[in-house]
Amino acid sequence: MTLTTRQTRLISRTCLTLALLVVAVPFVFPFLWMVSSGFKSATEIFGQPSLIPRVWRWQNYIEVFEYQPFARQYFNSLYIAVTVTVLTLVISSLAGYALARMRFAGAGLLMLFLLSALMVPEEVTIIPNFFLIRWMGLMDTHAPLILLPVFGSHGVMATFLMRQYFLAIPKELEEAGKMDGLSRFGIWWRVALPMSRPALAAVSIITFLFSWNLFLEPLVFISSLERFTLPLALSNFTDSYGLPLWHLQLAATSLAVVPILIVYLIAQRQIIESFALSGVKG
Amino acid sequence: MADTLTNHVSARGLRAPRFSLRQREAIEAWLFVSPTVVGFLLFFLGPLVAVVYFSLTEWNLLTQQSTFVGIDNYVDALSRNPDFWHVLRNSFVFALGLVPLNMSLALMLALALSRPFRGVVFFRTIFFAPVVTSAVAWAIVWKFLLQGEAGAVNQLLAVVGIDGPNWLREPDWAMVAVIVTRVIKMVGLNMILYIAALQAIPRDYEAAARLEGASNWQIFRMVIWPLLAPTTLVIFVITMIGSFKVFDHIYLMTGGGPENGTLVLAFYIYEQGFKFFNVGYASALAMIMFVIVLALTVVQMILRRRDMQ
Amino acid sequence: MKTRLGILATSTVLFGLMAGGPVLAEDLRFTVWTGSEAHLKMLDEIAESFKQSHPDVNVQFETIPAADYTQKLTFQLAGGNPPDLGWMMEDAAPTFAAANVLMDLGPTLQAAEGYDYADYSEAAMGLWVSGETVHGVPFSTSPFMIFYNKTLFDEAEVETPLELAQKGEWNMEKFQEVAGTVKEKTGKWGFEFKDGQGYDSRIMHALMPPIRAYGGDAWANGECGFDDPEAVAAVEQLHEMVFEDKSIVPPGEQGDYFSGSSAMTINQISRASKMSEAGFDWGIAPLPSGPAGEAPVIGQAAIVVFERGGKKDLAAEFVAHMTNKENVAKMAQFFPPARKSVLESDAFTQANSIIPAEQMAHVSDAIANGKVLPSHERSPQILAAMAPKVDALWRADADVKQALEGVCAAVEPLL
Repeated sequence: MTLTTRQTRLISRTCLTLALLVVAVPFVFPFLWMVSSGFKSATEIFGQPSLIPRVWRWQNYIEVFEYQPFARQYFNSLYIAVTVTVLTLVISSLAGYALARMRFAGAGLLMLFLLSALMVPEEVTIIPNFFLIRWMGLMDTHAPLILLPVFGSHGVMATFLMRQYFLAIPKELEEAGKMDGLSRFGIWWRVALPMSRPALAAVSIITFLFSWNLFLEPLVFISSLERFTLPLALSNFTDSYGLPLWHLQLAATSLAVVPILIVYLIAQRQIIESFALSGVKG
Repeated sequence: MADTLTNHVSARGLRAPRFSLRQREAIEAWLFVSPTVVGFLLFFLGPLVAVVYFSLTEWNLLTQQSTFVGIDNYVDALSRNPDFWHVLRNSFVFALGLVPLNMSLALMLALALSRPFRGVVFFRTIFFAPVVTSAVAWAIVWKFLLQGEAGAVNQLLAVVGIDGPNWLREPDWAMVAVIVTRVIKMVGLNMILYIAALQAIPRDYEAAARLEGASNWQIFRMVIWPLLAPTTLVIFVITMIGSFKVFDHIYLMTGGGPENGTLVLAFYIYEQGFKFFNVGYASALAMIMFVIVLALTVVQMILRRRDMQ
Repeated sequence: MKTRLGILATSTVLFGLMAGGPVLAEDLRFTVWTGSEAHLKMLDEIAESFKQSHPDVNVQFETIPAADYTQKLTFQLAGGNPPDLGWMMEDAAPTFAAANVLMDLGPTLQAAEGYDYADYSEAAMGLWVSGETVHGVPFSTSPFMIFYNKTLFDEAEVETPLELAQKGEWNMEKFQEVAGTVKEKTGKWGFEFKDGQGYDSRIMHALMPPIRAYGGDAWANGECGFDDPEAVAAVEQLHEMVFEDKSIVPPGEQGDYFSGSSAMTINQISRASKMSEAGFDWGIAPLPSGPAGEAPVIGQAAIVVFERGGKKDLAAEFVAHMTNKENVAKMAQFFPPARKSVLESDAFTQANSIIPAEQMAHVSDAIANGKVLPSHERSPQILAAMAPKVDALWRADADVKQALEGVCAAVEPLL
């Protein structure tokens, strides 16, 4: 008995789907486990594992806010990420525009320099940056968490992404802008930026997540509890004696991860495309 | 035409037509890039030069005393301190484990998910989800899942009759654990890049090959894989640099242990500089890391260029 | 920094107005690792009472999480953002003293009225004094005690550590026996290292009590003591309990005492405040004695003033105020004192609302006879060098003696 092409295809599709489902387990399980454990007591987390808590401890989500200034830390992460995103958008699109559209001496060299910055991990420059930030009197403030991502390799990546996008905008549109008497700045603002919404969206998404998840910089530059950002707060979720609070740590982690995950699920196509763009262009 | 017009208009704006059109454009361009340039000099190039100088000193972070010691720190790392080679080895083991695993899994997933079928969006969404999740959260959760006997992973393995190791307490298994959890976290990104590249390959190529009687494997080997080469290079460089700079993952899951089994370069730099106050030695390590990453990137680019010719 | 700029701005403005006018208000920044409201309330009260002599001085307590305290403090000091005063743990003291970042408090304390510096025993000050220099004043001299879960002991029908201690039978042998019995009869762990961190961040807290009970020590006079026969015997016992009796929570597992998963743990009495929410009966007892008799182990924390703080003389005066007799007695409700007069007072044993006086008496004894945890100028490096070797020790098939020799080989060059 031979199978028709349709049957073979059906069988291979089913096998593929089953295989993918198996592979998907380690991608999905941590999230399910995290959320479910956030509702358990510390004892239950280490007891017989089950995805449904025996007793739903909703108070975990209240206690999270009692042991640390968690609302404040949440807000810190949020406003820092928004600031970093806005600054990166402005600065990288300005530079990206000049690199794509304007001719000036040193442009080639500048490109080369910026390109090299993409290769350098921030661990290489963290020590001198520590002294720089100290010299600027900005220790234990949020300024380094804003300045370093905006001007570091992430900002450079955003610049290249913007440049690549501006290159694809038809020159004629700009010429029309010039005819209307727009300055360079005007063309950038009125013509180039509105045409590059997809690139701007991509930069925003990637930058926001980059800042939101930043860890090394807060670890080195922030020391007081109420100036902590979320990753720092999560990594160190202890009571006032330094005793780890496992169940609250997981509840707090859920609080930090789930909103992002929901936004991701809603806008997954846009978000995935943004990253695809960054990888190809950057 | 338009150019003269702008020149005319803005020249009037400036009152004194001191600059030629080209000069004006250059000045404007430098204004556009000035924030980037200033930031780049201040937070990147300056520090990079500084780290070279730091690496030639013995500098205590706490007492803030520094003396110039020449290449002592490098000699120390390369010949005196046994930890260094162990750390370097760990970094390479991590990279050599992570990069191929990540790239091959990414490619396989991309091949499976580059054509529409029912559920394709669902699977893409799932495999990409860890990418948007914070590494801190990811490491925290996996640290729990990988606990000894009580950990969920070992409980699951026990169901199928496997007696799982005490993952994070045995040096070799700990390395395996950090590599695999890191791959799960990051593979989605490479998968998406590969999908984008696969979708850009014209269908005709494949159809033509099939007409000539090529098997699936032959099509992949002779048609698809060569066309993916530029993407593979980008992915390789990104993934490789990423694997050398891994810090948060190690910091939170193993702290470099057990028995220094997961002590990698990025973590070692942090420890030496900020925990033991050896600014000079840590800077020398940072320079070594810089050179390694640069060398690997350059080698890969040269190989690739030769390949094209 | 912002606040400092603010102060700068206000002070410049005020400078013009200040012709023999009022003294400027001054802020002292004081880093602590407690976030407990009760602790902070007490500290604020002490700061308030300082205003009687220094009406314009505000002391602001800044919480840095305990787990990362020393690291974060380093960042502040090295980062040009030093606090004026701070708490400091015993293992960090020699490092910071050697780096010359701690102010000599001696002259200020000697000059302070009614301070009675001699009231601090030499033993208690040992770690904080070198020659004539006083680097800090201990505010907490807290012995490690056995916390036990009475409910589990009753369930297993064994005598509690406190009962055994009162009969004089509470020794290392008995410790192993009861831990094993509890594990066997209840299925819960017999013993958990301090905060479950004995295999990573609290190696010393895990190893030192038994090693000292056996008569050994970590190091002395530049010699490593971990491979001495006493230390080897002590660690062999622990190893046996972990891997053969399976009564101690092993590496990579959790057996949180405070949520009832372990029958015993080691901790300091400040942690007793956590017991009020535990759902079981409990008590505290001394550490089990060993071949070398009783060997209480103490964890110490002191108040120090940072040289680079800018207002160090004022800060030193605040230390003198905070550690005078009255305030030490006040703090004794949370932090066991190093002042003999307070320690010997009934007020101390009765000050603790959670721990009965008979149990507190053991605490007093331990403070009087105890020895502070080992520390060293190069503590961070030593601990880091030890950690991988200690990891090797905690394998089921490890040769304890060989592993401890490995520890010594790693540590010796640093001593």
